[in-house]
Amino acid sequence: MIRRGKGVGCMWYPIGFTVLANPSAATVKVNEDGTATLLTGTVETGQGSLTVLAQIAAEELGVSTDDIHVVSADTDTTPMDTGAIASRTTYVTGNAIKLAAANAKQILFEVAAPLLEVQPNQLEAVDRKIQVQYFPQRCLPIADVALQAQFVMGRPPIGSASYNPPTVGMDPETGQGKPFSTYVYATQCAEVEVDDETGEVDVIYMSAAHDCGTAINPMLVEGQIEGGISMGIGFALQEEMLFDDKGLQLNPNLTNYIMPTSLDMPEIDVDIVENFDPTGPFGAKGVGEPTAVPTAAAICNAIFDAVGVRITSLPATAEKVLRAIKEKNDNDQKILPAAE
Amino acid sequence: MTDVTLIVNGETKTASVPPETTLLKMLREDLNYTGSKLGCDVGDCGACTVLVDGLAVNACLMLAGQAEGKEILTIEGLSTLEKYHPIQKAFEDVAALQCGFCGPGMIMTTKALIDQDEDVTRQNIKDALSGNLCRCTGYTKIIEGVIDAYQEITGKKLPEIKPRAA
Ligand code: FES
Ligand code: FES
Repeated sequence: MIRRGKGVGCMWYPIGFTVLANPSAATVKVNEDGTATLLTGTVETGQGSLTVLAQIAAEELGVSTDDIHVVSADTDTTPMDTGAIASRTTYVTGNAIKLAAANAKQILFEVAAPLLEVQPNQLEAVDRKIQVQYFPQRCLPIADVALQAQFVMGRPPIGSASYNPPTVGMDPETGQGKPFSTYVYATQCAEVEVDDETGEVDVIYMSAAHDCGTAINPMLVEGQIEGGISMGIGFALQEEMLFDDKGLQLNPNLTNYIMPTSLDMPEIDVDIVENFDPTGPFGAKGVGEPTAVPTAAAICNAIFDAVGVRITSLPATAEKVLRAIKEKNDNDQKILPAAE
Repeated sequence: MTDVTLIVNGETKTASVPPETTLLKMLREDLNYTGSKLGCDVGDCGACTVLVDGLAVNACLMLAGQAEGKEILTIEGLSTLEKYHPIQKAFEDVAALQCGFCGPGMIMTTKALIDQDEDVTRQNIKDALSGNLCRCTGYTKIIEGVIDAYQEITGKKLPEIKPRAA
């Protein structure tokens, strides 16, 4: 018989480790046509980080994301980056880029201020213009200001900056400290169908509520969450590396190491719970790894809700679930009072 | 060595290859069509999917010789320098791909599905894509991209799925 169950899994996840140096750096150069070039050492692996980092630079400079040309991941030309690891890119590299763009913008402000007859701190960069705050009609195109800076004032509008979440050593006595800059939180709920005659588990629905600070690019956040859920489903139900007693992997291929396909994916609802973090670029934190953390817990809780068995070693394969159901049934029978 | 002639993306191409050469190896190494990817080489991942006479085929499982004289369509045959194919455009618009490694295979599978000229449901799409593995996206946005491309190309509408009660 097919039995349905629902389960919840919650998690927190740290962003921006502080126990070791964790720097990122960036250079932002505003070009004479009003576009900008961003140099960053970080690596795009498909998560969309370069898009998000370009958005951060664009927002700071008041230009469009399309105006930002990103040069990345080549230490011949870009600063070294700690890496696309630990869900740190938006937060740590993003902060470095925001600071670098702010430095370039400061030069533009100082060049534009006398032309607009105000102080630099009265200016803002919006819609590809440098304009006087509260007097948007008093403005200059950013391209003109960059041209003026380069060829008249002799001050090329280039900003460089680095960001390292303040390193805090752990107390060697107590092992306590502040190991991370900030944290994200998430809850995922799973609905499963368990066949109690075969032990087979089918995840039919997942909902995922994730706090990632400001979602700089909600579409990419959704993509991260959906991808994380598929990895979580694999971890919960299918994926297992098997080793022989010499430590050689027995299933080093996709024939025997079973990962989810399109048919294993449930309907997913993603809920981005926005939350401004004052230490992140425009309030952003991160979303990468956290997305795969609560999935297996939610699924195992849903299995318990459906058939009353606790699976404590993953993956919860049909064999394991069926064995647990049989054990439970045997135990339940034992405690029935003997018939008179 | 045997001479094998294929019609790849409309162009006739011949190469002299050892008889055990797979279609994928010939495309990638002898003819330089590197858009089709080598994921597993044993038919598990779908990264090598190309169309052979209109059917989606794992090019790693077909010998080049078996494709002699047939029409092969690879990912390179879809877009022109000016323009994406509507499937590629739909995938881009919804951010269907992340690392993109599965992309050429996913897109060729989608092309075969849409070319069948039959009414398609969400379940058909999931079935069609089930031979193409993706480690990054959870397939959700890929399925969205396929739906958009299908609707754009055929002018048909997919049956709406009811949103779940809150
Ligand atoms: S390379 Fe052909 S299916 Fe994986
Ligand atoms: S996008 Fe990376 S494998 Fe599909």
